[in-house]
Amino acid sequence: MKKLTALFLTSLLLITGCSSSGSPSEEGGTQTAAGDNEYSSRTLKFYNWGEYIGDDVISNFEKEYDVDVISEYFDSNEAMYTKLKAGDVYDVLVPSDYMIERLLNEDMLQPIDKSVVTNLGNLAEGVKNLDYDPDNTYSVPYFWGTVGIVYNKNNVPLEELESEGYNILKNEKYKGNIYMYDSERDSFMVALKALGYSMNTENEDEINEAYEWLREQHKTMEPSYVTDEVIDSMANGNKDLAVVYSGDAAYILSENEDMGYFTPSEGTNLWSDAMVIPKNAENPELANEFINYILTYDPSYSNSEAVGYASSNAEVLADLSGEDGLYYNNEAYLPRTGYENDEIFHDNETLRVMLSDLWSKVKAE
Amino acid sequence: MRGFRSMLYPYVVWSFIMIVIPMLMIVVYAFTKEGNSVTNILFTLDNFKSFFNDTVFIEVLERSIFIAVITTVLCILLGYPVAYVIAKLKPASQVTAVLMITLPTWINMLVRTYAWRGILDKNGLINSILGLFGIGPIKILETGFAVILGMVYNFIPFMILQIYNSLSKMDPSYLEAAADLGANKAKTFFKVTLPLSLPGIISGITLVFLPAVSSFFIPKLLGGGQYMLIGNVIENQFLTTGKWGFGSAISMVMAVIILIAMYIARYIDKKLSVKGGLD
Repeated sequence: MKKLTALFLTSLLLITGCSSSGSPSEEGGTQTAAGDNEYSSRTLKFYNWGEYIGDDVISNFEKEYDVDVISEYFDSNEAMYTKLKAGDVYDVLVPSDYMIERLLNEDMLQPIDKSVVTNLGNLAEGVKNLDYDPDNTYSVPYFWGTVGIVYNKNNVPLEELESEGYNILKNEKYKGNIYMYDSERDSFMVALKALGYSMNTENEDEINEAYEWLREQHKTMEPSYVTDEVIDSMANGNKDLAVVYSGDAAYILSENEDMGYFTPSEGTNLWSDAMVIPKNAENPELANEFINYILTYDPSYSNSEAVGYASSNAEVLADLSGEDGLYYNNEAYLPRTGYENDEIFHDNETLRVMLSDLWSKVKAE
Repeated sequence: MRGFRSMLYPYVVWSFIMIVIPMLMIVVYAFTKEGNSVTNILFTLDNFKSFFNDTVFIEVLERSIFIAVITTVLCILLGYPVAYVIAKLKPASQVTAVLMITLPTWINMLVRTYAWRGILDKNGLINSILGLFGIGPIKILETGFAVILGMVYNFIPFMILQIYNSLSKMDPSYLEAAADLGANKAKTFFKVTLPLSLPGIISGITLVFLPAVSSFFIPKLLGGGQYMLIGNVIENQFLTTGKWGFGSAISMVMAVIILIAMYIARYIDKKLSVKGGLD
């Protein structure tokens, strides 16, 4: 019965795989090298963010292991969680830090098999052993980054950003010229940081102050609340300021040279998305194999190159941000490390419900 | 006869599974306390209370209905002349014209709405053309105007087709009779054509108003999230907040409003078509 509800909630479902590159060895093909491997003709169900993977990564994996990969896409951690809870079965998911924490608390994940996932050593320094999963027992990072402000260098002076920080988003000079990110976590991060608080605060006064900050901004600044639309809109130079995830910012900067990326010193959300295997996965062995494959150089490179988010693979990260790299001099690509006000989001049920309620009210007014 | 009737059973079972059960689940959720499991049902009216006690949500509801009404009115005003012109064309041209109207609906609505972003953008098509004449750029995207434009654009084919259907079925001898009796063109239109096409307008209204009042991605994409409508609130409750009970309660309130609206539409339809026939 729950499946029926899930059916109604499913907004976007794309099925790839099963293409010509699928499984050439139906009958008699068993003699080929590919047909010999233990995973032959199995199916991996991969649930990932939309536009989050390089072009050939899946088809190369399918060829190499003679398997089929069914990819489905989500556009928010919460949407993914809802489907998972409704009973849908996947082998590999790519949720964010706080969602992994929540899934772990609810005992929904199984440990990574480190005898299969041997490439953990490839992980970049800043993204491994993070405190939601200190030994990478359950999760293997995929992409990571920060949240910051993309600004039009011709219209917004850098000094102003440096002196005002997030409060520039309430500077009436830029009225009607601002994109906010339409998610309660990111908007409240901005407001709480602007007020000098921790984004993981449980103090109701601080949260209400942040709510007032956002309400006032909504009333005085006429901001637009967008999600992925921000990418094209800023690449086209529609507005002067936008709260953007670093990887999207890297893409915007590479498309439009007028744009710059700034992370206020008040701190930001240091986030990471990681691959995990749900408890009810049908093909956990293949899932481990897949995770290990993504960690290798070529797939990691292809993903990061195509999407613009910082790779979890140290070598790829160095190459892409290095002198000959695609993202050389792109200030949004390489996440900053070592800022004491930068935090990782934690899962907290009371906070989650509260922020979500307040956020609908901010926007509804 | 008996044999034919038994062929209905698969359909009855199907509609029970696909329509009745999901609807019942919404009702159950709406009266259930937090927790998205159907197994432990705790009756409560909290979900409705928190909706009606919160002025913010009532405002959103009012805004949704307001925008849907404007959309419907504009669809009638713009759609009627189009349908009228098509109905007056030669039969062969009518087929082409109807095809032209339906053609865009073959493409996914989301994709077409996204395309409007490119047209209305600050650096988009309209502003580039205005720029040639030294005007602008003016802000069109992410305004209330853009939301209504997107709605009218997406839903007007349903209105045109309904009106066209009722106009094309009209017996031309009525018009001849009116002319025989000395009515001029305007009088013929208002006394004969318009009343006879009312059923088309009414079913057009239902087809436009219903999706318009619950639409959520058009205000999201073209309104820049500033024009939150009731559809967005419901989506939010299910996908982000995870409060299925509250989301279901809002859906039920909507369903009741829609039922009332449909009832009124039918009532007017009956009244007017009887009157139109006698006049």
